[in-house]
Amino acid sequence: MSDYQYILKTENLYKSFGTLEVLRDVNLSVKKGEVICIIGPSGAGKSTYLRSLNQLEKITSGKVFIKDELFLHREHNRTIHRAEPDAQKAMLLEMGMVFQRFNLFPHKTVLENVMIAQVLVRKKSAEAAKKLAIEIIERVGLSDKLDVYPSKLSGGQQQRVAIARALAMEPEIMLFDEPTSALDPELVGEVLNVMKGLAKQGMTMLVVTHEMGFAREVADRVVFMADGMILEENTPKELFDHPTNEKAISFLRSVL
Amino acid sequence: MSKFKKLVDFKNWQKSTKTVAMVILAILVVIFVLSSLNVSEQDMLRNASPEIEQIIEDEKTSSRKSLTITYNDLGVISYISFTTSGASALKESYVGFAGGIYGADEGGWKFAGQMVNYTYRMLGTGENLLHGVKLTLLLTTLSMIIGAIFSVFLALGKISENKVISKLSSAYIFFFRGTPLLIQMFVIYFSVPGIFGFAWRSLFAAGDPEAVYKGAFIAALIAFSLNAAAYCAEIVRAAIQSIDKGQNEAAKALGMGYGQMMRTIIIPQSIRRMIPPLCNEFVMMIKDVSLVFAISLMDITTISKTIMTSEGNYLVFIPALLIYLVITAVFTFIFGKIEKRLSIYE
Repeated sequence: MSDYQYILKTENLYKSFGTLEVLRDVNLSVKKGEVICIIGPSGAGKSTYLRSLNQLEKITSGKVFIKDELFLHREHNRTIHRAEPDAQKAMLLEMGMVFQRFNLFPHKTVLENVMIAQVLVRKKSAEAAKKLAIEIIERVGLSDKLDVYPSKLSGGQQQRVAIARALAMEPEIMLFDEPTSALDPELVGEVLNVMKGLAKQGMTMLVVTHEMGFAREVADRVVFMADGMILEENTPKELFDHPTNEKAISFLRSVL
Repeated sequence: MSKFKKLVDFKNWQKSTKTVAMVILAILVVIFVLSSLNVSEQDMLRNASPEIEQIIEDEKTSSRKSLTITYNDLGVISYISFTTSGASALKESYVGFAGGIYGADEGGWKFAGQMVNYTYRMLGTGENLLHGVKLTLLLTTLSMIIGAIFSVFLALGKISENKVISKLSSAYIFFFRGTPLLIQMFVIYFSVPGIFGFAWRSLFAAGDPEAVYKGAFIAALIAFSLNAAAYCAEIVRAAIQSIDKGQNEAAKALGMGYGQMMRTIIIPQSIRRMIPPLCNEFVMMIKDVSLVFAISLMDITTISKTIMTSEGNYLVFIPALLIYLVITAVFTFIFGKIEKRLSIYE
């Protein structure tokens, strides 16, 4: 069905802030339609890994492939290879990102938040953008909030708008950076439900999360990271029930 | 753009805002219309009532008294006063509106006439303080607008990743904030034409009698704009950098370029945060404009000084202060309204 093996692949990813090594040799391959949850103690480099995929962080060295094509190759802070600007932009747009703190545009209404990048980046007409925006906002269950400013929404509603905003760019991969960590406990469910819906529709998802229940239920694979390395990678059932790595065992014991 | 639409969308303004805006507009219109009227002394005397003509006739022959006929080209108020030579007593008897001279001997007219005369004398007779308002407002507003636009580029330059642009912008800001505005103005008015061999007045037609004055205005406008840009740039930079980094990242993650992000996400949000310090800067600028007395432009300050020396009217500075106060109050009010209007999403 697809003419590529992995929709997203990283090889030997390193990232350091000064002398602090945050990512150490991270290798991960993601197939289309896979849902991968990344868990681990704080400071493990989970968010940094996600952010270095779509260039919010510059990696120190390593290779990033998108649909088997080399997107970025850096060694020792020097860019060895980088896709052509147009191709690079297209590849970046394959990834939608949802942030821990929503990062909605506060001066735009819900509808405008979901429309703006479609018009500016995808160069769609306002009508086409509006049509898709309304459709997607309906999917996250906020049709009655179209003309509301984000400040008037609850955290859960804001995060759903943020998901809608990313979806409106029609990405093939969704990156979720602790999407429920900033939410009140009673609002977590509504966001997770939207994400489950997405997973069911076959969206490829990389989710950094502390919601072990969600990981167990939805993920195809769970990745355990600590100290900037992937220490264990398995199906949720195996990883949660029979972890082998020492650190994974103690981490899971503390959170479950 | 939509922000701007909301600002100019007069229909949806609050009622009180509308009223105040209308009053301000009406006052401005009246001042402009009146200052364009120019009633000459002869015209006024032509309308004079027989009694006044009689008095004037009498005075002509008198050697002991001198007649002062005063009018202003605002055209509203004029009065005739008689000075008894050798004595300082001033007797004001008549008041005229728009060149018409009325007898003010009795009752209400006399009272009104005296009140108007006192007020008028306070503002100055030959030169009028209100004439200076035009120049002060024009210079302040224009240089703030030009400076604010320029300052956006300076601010973006200062936070730019390009080292050369960043250093250049910083140097500009450092220079204009680190030297006195008065001397900056002198350099532009005196030194620059000297170095490059031209004269500010030559920007205008040779026959223009106001060429010198207009030339000085242009020089002052340039000096104030360049200076305002430096101060505003720091305000703009601080406002831009106060926007949450997450906004940057969200825009980048959605594939927006730097220009798109600045134009549609960062700057619109930072504008609201710029308003209070910009208002501050504006108020400072209103008062800084008084420095133009040094190149003989007739703003409120220069005129008050002129009135003081030519008419010995030492009270003239008090209405001058009050005029500044009114201008400041009006602009503070306007900026407050703008800030409120831009905060609707919070």
